[in-house]
Amino acid sequence: MLQPDMFQLMTAGDVSVRGCHEESPTGASEKQQKRRQSESEEGNPFSFSPQRLHLHRDHELFEDGDILRHMYLQDLYILEAEDKPTLSVSEFACHISGCSSVFSTLEEYEHHYNSLHRHVCCSCRRSLPNARLLDIHIQEWHDSLFTILAQRQDMYQCLVEGCGQKFRTTQHRKDHLIRIHKYPPDFRFDKTKKDKRTRETKTQQQKDAAMEVVDDVCESEGVCDVMCNVLSDQPEHEESMETHASEEEAARLAKSTEDLPAAAQGSDSTSSAPAKAQYSYRVPPAVCFGHGSVRGFRGRRGRRK
Amino acid sequence: MWRLNKVRYKAGRQGDSLEELRLKRREHERTLRQARRDRQLVSKRLLLNEDEEQQDITMDTTPGEQDVVSLVHKLQHSGPEKEANLKALSKALRDPSAQLTFVKLENSVHLLVGLLTSSNAQCRLQAVQCLHELSHSPHKNVAPACLPATSYLLTYLSGPSTKFSELCLYTLGNICPDSDAVKEKLLAQGIIPALATCMENQRHNLAVVEAVGFTLSQLLQTKDAAVKIIPMVLASTLPSNLLSVLTPDPKFGLAPAIECAWCLHYLTSSSKDNRELLCRGALVQCSSLLVSLGRAVAEGNKDEGLELLVCPVLRCVGNLLFSCPVEGLSTQVGDVHLVVALCGLVQAYLHTQPALAREAAWVLNNLTAHSSQFCSALLTLNLVPGLIQLLRFSQGINTMVSILRILANIAHKKQEFCIQLTQLGLLSVLCATLKMVDQEMVTLSLDVLFMLVVSSPQVAAEFVNQGGLSLLEAIQYNGEGDRRRRATYLLEQHLLSYRL
Repeated sequence: MLQPDMFQLMTAGDVSVRGCHEESPTGASEKQQKRRQSESEEGNPFSFSPQRLHLHRDHELFEDGDILRHMYLQDLYILEAEDKPTLSVSEFACHISGCSSVFSTLEEYEHHYNSLHRHVCCSCRRSLPNARLLDIHIQEWHDSLFTILAQRQDMYQCLVEGCGQKFRTTQHRKDHLIRIHKYPPDFRFDKTKKDKRTRETKTQQQKDAAMEVVDDVCESEGVCDVMCNVLSDQPEHEESMETHASEEEAARLAKSTEDLPAAAQGSDSTSSAPAKAQYSYRVPPAVCFGHGSVRGFRGRRGRRK
Repeated sequence: MWRLNKVRYKAGRQGDSLEELRLKRREHERTLRQARRDRQLVSKRLLLNEDEEQQDITMDTTPGEQDVVSLVHKLQHSGPEKEANLKALSKALRDPSAQLTFVKLENSVHLLVGLLTSSNAQCRLQAVQCLHELSHSPHKNVAPACLPATSYLLTYLSGPSTKFSELCLYTLGNICPDSDAVKEKLLAQGIIPALATCMENQRHNLAVVEAVGFTLSQLLQTKDAAVKIIPMVLASTLPSNLLSVLTPDPKFGLAPAIECAWCLHYLTSSSKDNRELLCRGALVQCSSLLVSLGRAVAEGNKDEGLELLVCPVLRCVGNLLFSCPVEGLSTQVGDVHLVVALCGLVQAYLHTQPALAREAAWVLNNLTAHSSQFCSALLTLNLVPGLIQLLRFSQGINTMVSILRILANIAHKKQEFCIQLTQLGLLSVLCATLKMVDQEMVTLSLDVLFMLVVSSPQVAAEFVNQGGLSLLEAIQYNGEGDRRRRATYLLEQHLLSYRL
């Protein structure tokens, strides 16, 4: 049922969009009067109305063109094709906090987003590769009932869909995945060089502030988080996450903790080495299925009292 | 174009490798960007003599500062070789430190002013050449030193000698942005009427027209131009003359049109009210020029520097459209060729000059916002698929937002348009843009989706078929505020029957 004056022209005059000046489309409202149903209903949040934009000469949209103009005035304008790309192009930048990935096509960006930022756990903001693993993660990490039940019965599900087996500990599950489902011992889930670097730096921070909650990382940790769930019986697996970031670093630290000549250790990482000495920094033989998650939060979890 | 040719020549002979040159340019570009962000983007132009164009200027073994002093000395003592000394002096003043030295010498500028008014034509020419060199100085103190000469320069503007007029004009153009005091003085001395008269009298002398355009653009870019300068300009004959020069002369090249177009851009972008200019047919002229430029670009016209003209003309059309009453749109803008031209420009510049593609998309938005005629033209002329495609591969969020706004403008007009848009595949693209993180894109996508969905039940079904429900649910779950409300509303009010 079409009503004559459905369209709400409310926002036009006063809203300023990125410094533009917008006009109130007064004269044109008659044309927009043949409207769709339900737009004047209560609670309709849709407010799009076509608007002409006036851009002031100082507007940022005009920046590149102005630069072109002044390069010409200053006799710097050169026409060779290879110079064209110097004009800056805004790419798709991932807006997730902490993620600085940049893409030049929508599809690349979509793929990135879908791979890394979907299926995000509300509680700890980790990203899991799919809905099932997210469910498992929430269950194993954030469900106190699960924790209680896990003390008495086999609760840790096999991660392979359709397998259905359950295990008493994460270690058992890891073994199962390697032995039965042939997961490689050093299996990684989409780890990139950049993530590795980020993780390395975060690992440093981690060591400096042992038990603080570190800022969320954007990397997808995937299966790894589920796998390397910290339990009191497996404290070294928690370290497996952090040290996987940099095995050389872990080896170095392991060495330094063993030697422990306090004076000789000048680097900042060693300042917390004593504090961390209680953890074993050996490179674990166990499987780690994802990016290292480097959160002090996790460290805290591992220290079951 | 004679100026661009000079640039290439200069680039070739400086002995820098191409890579060094590119690095220098990039560095320079960074400086310009920062200057613009500080609202201090100002440029000067240096007019070179014909004989100098063939020489390597930088390798000129410039006489040092001492020579400036001695030359001034000689000139002050009325030697017989005034012309030769003046010529030597103008060469010496090419050097920035020599410029500083010169203005610090007592009565040096007055010397030049005296020579400027001498009976010897050559002396006058060389004297103004010296002043021109001074005006190009990077030092802020030098230009104000030229103030005593300005009233003379203004009177000479409409003189018979093209070269002389050019030098006067570029000198004035170079010094007026340097300080408020200089600008005020020039305004008081009547620079605007002088420019108007000059332009009026020398309309057929394109070199002078270019120079007037440059000088005027310098004035129009100053800080308080909107209050102090623009009203005067609008009241004069300048706008009409600027408009008449817009169509480039094939023999002379684009340069005069470029300068005038930039003047018009500064005029139209400094104020939202452009009725004066509209009355003088600015939109008519600019849009027809844009149509021919669009055609030239689409045909792959290799005219060098075409984008230097396309850019300001685009902006003029965009901002003039803002002020144009909707009823008069078609008379002002002509027929649908403009739409074709704009789409062509978006496509042509998307990868080579993305900023221009963005600006063209903005103009299209202004054109289609309140006009069913132009929206319909986009559909009829089959230009929409190209735009939809851009939403998948476009470069830059700003461009995508502009293009989606154009499509939203179309959808907003009629239900039939919505159905046509759906048939052209807009839904599947929306399924992609709904997943973007940029909030404006998601909100706008939801707005468009809403318009499409309510236009016909088939659209809703199609959207569900393409997996749209889970997208909306994801937004409902993850999204905030505006986006969540819109997603919820769609799911609960319009897609409820599909959620089983």
